[in-house]
Amino acid sequence: MSSRKRWGAGLAGIVVAGAVAVGVAVAPTAAAAPPLPPVSPEALVASVITAKPGPMNGTVTVDNELGLPALPNAPQLGNGTQTARVWSGGDGKGRVALPSSDGERTLVSDGTTRWSYDSADRTVTKAPANAGGPPSRPDVPGGVDPRTDPAGAATSMIADLRKTSTVTVDGTEEVAGRAAYQLVLTPLPTERTLLREVRVSVDAEKRLPLQLTVLATGSAQPALTIGFSDITFGPQDPSLFTFTPPPGTTVKDAPAPDGRGGPPTGAQAPKTVGDGWDRVVVAQKPATPPNQPGQPGRPAGAPDLSSLGTPVSGPWGQGRLITTTVATAIITNDGRIAAGAVPEQVLTEALGR
Amino acid sequence: MSTTVATRGRAATRTAAPLGRLLAAELRWVLRRPRTLVVFGLLALVPIAIAIGIATTGGPSAGRGPGLVAQVAGNGFVLPVVALGLSLTLLLPLAVASAGADAIAGEAATGTLRGLLIAPVGRLRLVVMKAAGVVTVAVLAVLVVAVVGMIAGTVVVGGAQGTLVTLSGTTLGVGEAIGRIALVAAWTVGQLLAIGAVALAISTLTEHPLVVLACVLGGLIVFGVLSAIPSLEWLQPLLLTTGFTAGTDVLRDPLPLDGLVSSTVRALVYVVLGLGVTLWRMRRRDA
Amino acid sequence: MTAAPGTLDVVPSPEEPRTATPAPAARVRGLRTTFGRVVAVDGVDLELPSGAVVGMLGPNGSGKTTLIRMLLGLTRPTAGHVELLGRTGDDLAAALPDVGALVEGPGFHPFLSGRDNLLRAAATEPRLEGDLRAPVDAALERVGLSDAARRRYRGYSLGMKQRLGLAAALLVPRRLVVLDEPTNGLDPAGTRDVRRVIAELHDAGTTVLLSSHLLAEVEAVCTHVAVLQRGSLLVSGELSGLLDAGAGELVVTTDDPTTALDAVRVAGAGPYLRDGGLVVPAGPLEPPEVVAALVRAGVGVWEVHRRRAHLEELFARLTEEDA
Repeated sequence: MSSRKRWGAGLAGIVVAGAVAVGVAVAPTAAAAPPLPPVSPEALVASVITAKPGPMNGTVTVDNELGLPALPNAPQLGNGTQTARVWSGGDGKGRVALPSSDGERTLVSDGTTRWSYDSADRTVTKAPANAGGPPSRPDVPGGVDPRTDPAGAATSMIADLRKTSTVTVDGTEEVAGRAAYQLVLTPLPTERTLLREVRVSVDAEKRLPLQLTVLATGSAQPALTIGFSDITFGPQDPSLFTFTPPPGTTVKDAPAPDGRGGPPTGAQAPKTVGDGWDRVVVAQKPATPPNQPGQPGRPAGAPDLSSLGTPVSGPWGQGRLITTTVATAIITNDGRIAAGAVPEQVLTEALGR
Repeated sequence: MSTTVATRGRAATRTAAPLGRLLAAELRWVLRRPRTLVVFGLLALVPIAIAIGIATTGGPSAGRGPGLVAQVAGNGFVLPVVALGLSLTLLLPLAVASAGADAIAGEAATGTLRGLLIAPVGRLRLVVMKAAGVVTVAVLAVLVVAVVGMIAGTVVVGGAQGTLVTLSGTTLGVGEAIGRIALVAAWTVGQLLAIGAVALAISTLTEHPLVVLACVLGGLIVFGVLSAIPSLEWLQPLLLTTGFTAGTDVLRDPLPLDGLVSSTVRALVYVVLGLGVTLWRMRRRDA
Repeated sequence: MTAAPGTLDVVPSPEEPRTATPAPAARVRGLRTTFGRVVAVDGVDLELPSGAVVGMLGPNGSGKTTLIRMLLGLTRPTAGHVELLGRTGDDLAAALPDVGALVEGPGFHPFLSGRDNLLRAAATEPRLEGDLRAPVDAALERVGLSDAARRRYRGYSLGMKQRLGLAAALLVPRRLVVLDEPTNGLDPAGTRDVRRVIAELHDAGTTVLLSSHLLAEVEAVCTHVAVLQRGSLLVSGELSGLLDAGAGELVVTTDDPTTALDAVRVAGAGPYLRDGGLVVPAGPLEPPEVVAALVRAGVGVWEVHRRRAHLEELFARLTEEDA
């Protein structure tokens, strides 16, 4: 019966249309390279350093393929995608929301106080705003923290890396719906590092770094992508940059800026060996290392990390080796920790000094 | 004796009963169905159980129980949101799937679908009438959870000084809190309509209402399994369950709409697909 | 019996004025339905004369219900043409408001009372307007269910369920009522009630299609009959005509059966003796010719009467012939 066929075709049409619609509704659209006037790396970096992007808000997405060991206390650090919502007043005030499936961490800087709220235990931690910079994450060279001011973090990183890297502007692309230059940092051949390339997308108009991509040797996929998935420049509601502890919460003062990543009391400050891409951080337990993800020596309550990694030994003694796609760390049995975006050999040398 | 029924005026010539009367009869039937009422009763128990659990175990305690449920402690306005979120995993889909199952497969099983087609209720009208029944169940089921949740949250748990403390650490006044609850309720109805439309579509393909229930609930479980497999991540945008966590977003401040909007769009696509298959099948279905 | 099955033409009898109406209540032509490889109905041509009570006979699985379902648009024929109250094709449903049906047993919701079930059915009836309770109560009364109207359908006996199904078919004055095995599960009183209802419908000019495997029931209430066997129509037509034409035999009471036997045999028929009387099967000789032959032979004829066949014999002969 021809009408039966027609209806069959109709059903197939409905199904296909529906599948396409679901895909289109959720999948990001491919972006074409926008045409932009050429710019030298120096001018681009300079403009980034001097840029005042002004108030904005957006969503930062972290696509993490670092291959860090799974840690019960920090599931966010495992491979996967995380998002953060970011508001910036453009004047040092900011707000960051780190949503999880059943809670949220909120960081608010109101210009004088840095507030941190964790919905899981309903505690508020506060610290003076200018007691130290934003917490750093040295697993990326130069230290980038997407949770606070991405602009400042990326800017300082670029300035540092120019000493040891080739810096080029490699075309343009569209990031979060905005035209952007691609600043590419490649380690000089003398650098001994696991990293192959770091790409920073800079907004063509506002000169704000929009995206950071870290590529490791031996992998075509980025090891880490931090960037805006959407961004809007414009005045923000001032109430976003204030925080009043809600009823039923406990408020405590942070021992250090936001309670994380600062030098712990009574601990020897970590020293660095080398510079540029093959910089190695050497620290002493029980000192908290500079918040190296996946590293032992975490504060009390942290899980036993002694089983992580594989046993290694060398002229420096014995310990355990932890490798990820972009970084390596050695924890010696005598309590020293060496870590960097380098192969194991460089760590061994650093421990030997 | 003979019936003396007046068939005057339009009734003498029309070929279908008035839609309003059909809808009223359908709703009366849906709401008198014992299993509908049983599911509504179970749904009402969800917020009550959470409220009692919170009230007996005391205040907030970090790391105890599911994270969101712990948010209810001392924060009564969160209860309806959490109750809706928990119910959305199984009980609310069950209510809607059972409505969809009874709507066509159930009628076929009892032999009443024949009567409807012979009456005749036009086949398009039949789908409209059945869809209306499923929508009603979805709306009422969500209302039961939301309203009982609000009452239990206010009476048993009590509010944080009459406000809602968001996950972001801000406080919302009563008006905005109720607005957020209304938003998550409406969003939940949207997700349920997707399930209902799919249930109706399956309902047109079988004469066994249990098959529909098994397909829908089994499908949701399969979706959950698929979304937990990392190598099938590309599938996630297609899975209805992917958006189910977006309801929690109403507890964040400022309110992020992306998840709510994209999951609602996804649900709408499921609704269109489900209704398309339902209409296509009912055009031809034997009864 | 020389007429081929299914082609027996019966002239409408003059005492049935309604059959003179040209348009039949329903008509199917070349109807064929297959379910997969199974041929359920195969090339059926059938007319339901307006105002007739048509009994549809056939063993289980002969296609009666399938035929009814196609008539009501519940099953689409694989091939052929259905006309219902003058409507055909996609327009068939437009005839359904005037058709009442009890098909494949009653279908109701167990958790509702009989009355509430009927109210729900009434809400779907295009011909009803305003307060639905009056027609519902009237239909309940008509099938004798008033007392049990408010009890849950779940607790109904088979007969009560059947009555409720009948009530649903009678909610509205119909032009055609289709009853598929209406007396299934009914006690003798219930069977009588169904017969009474059919008689009332007939008196009111309603066409009735009664499907049954109870020959006595059909013979008692039907004006017309159609016999189905394995999906094919064996015969259809007016009941009285079928019985006369199909099995009429002449029984002659005479004082000299032996002479009479020879006389009729010589005249060309195949008579035989039974219980001392002469039996002349229907065949080459018409009754006057038989009597003339007897008179010519000088046989005294006391009585000649034509014995009407029972439907049961007709049915048995038709289905056996075919088998």
